Amino acid sequence: MMPGVIAACAAVAGSAYAQIDPWEFEVYPYATEQRGVVELETLNAVVANGHSTPDAGTGAQFPSQSTWFNAYELTYGLTDRIEAAAYLNLALPRGQGLWYSGSKYRLRGRLFDEETLPVNLGWYLELEWHKSPQFDDANLELELRPIMEKDFGRLSLVANPVFEKVLSGAGRNQGFEFGYRNAVYYRWLKYLSPGVEFYGGCGLIDDTDPLRDQQHYIFPVLWGALPNGIEYSVGPGSGLTPNSDRVIMKFNIELERYVGALFGPSSENSWFF
Amino acid sequence: MLFDCSSVRALAVEPVEIRFQNHQFTPSSLTVPAGQKLSIKVINASDETIEFESFKLNREKVVSPGETITVRLPELSPGDYDFYDDFHQDVPVGNIVAR
Repeated sequence: MMPGVIAACAAVAGSAYAQIDPWEFEVYPYATEQRGVVELETLNAVVANGHSTPDAGTGAQFPSQSTWFNAYELTYGLTDRIEAAAYLNLALPRGQGLWYSGSKYRLRGRLFDEETLPVNLGWYLELEWHKSPQFDDANLELELRPIMEKDFGRLSLVANPVFEKVLSGAGRNQGFEFGYRNAVYYRWLKYLSPGVEFYGGCGLIDDTDPLRDQQHYIFPVLWGALPNGIEYSVGPGSGLTPNSDRVIMKFNIELERYVGALFGPSSENSWFF
Repeated sequence: MLFDCSSVRALAVEPVEIRFQNHQFTPSSLTVPAGQKLSIKVINASDETIEFESFKLNREKVVSPGETITVRLPELSPGDYDFYDDFHQDVPVGNIVAR
């Protein structure tokens, strides 16, 4: 999966910073948050071995080395097929205090019921608002992702191609950028299962970055669900290109609670709501 | 329907139905044919909201009181697939046997 995606990025080969979101190393499956369920998640990534100069790897105006990217995500299952979420992004660069670095708002949904199509399909629509040019000089960005998932027994293949457009700020006259978030998960035990996640960015679709300037990462992960609605995903990520950080540790923890549904069950005859 | 002492077993005839009532799933065990797609209707006849979940089958769905939902499954390999109410850990675990 990974060599093919990198080759595709190189083939269409500008800065691939935007498609790598170090605040959220997470691949979204077809399934959405359950109707009436609230999830609070903290997403964390620490650059264990990064760059000592600015504007390289996951760093912008600060060197990436030792930066801690910390996000809080609140998600609610609106219907059986659509969820809404809001994010608060923070960052702690080395030698700096804790910075507010942006907010994100998104809707995500799944199309049709499972097993209706040969591949389970979903969608993702996000608006990202940046307050701090220290981390991104775009003010407002739109992100679109189709979501594809196919299960083979206990194995799940998940693909999230990422299309991102700057709506306001530096780069607003440019077209869409392309990135990806893909994963292979194996359901071994409910509380402990392995997986491999892939993240990367290629730059503008019509003017991709040279491969050495792109960022690509591979994360072997352990994930699972613990009692009382706690779920986790942890793992070390390895950078695959010179501009990637060499090692990033991610650890995401979430807590789910049923708080009550606003809407009734989705119709079996509908495919969107 | 086939019965034994430990559980209720139902031969799969689509649509398979599982009812949640009195804090338990009935039948708690059902046998379905391996290698063919099937749908399971989960009826919540209780007054509590449940989450019908199966980790092995990669399925989870909230079922409010009085609601019926459908869980669609792919062709199953022969084996046991447990299911449970993820909102209530004290609800006895059920299983689907594909053979």
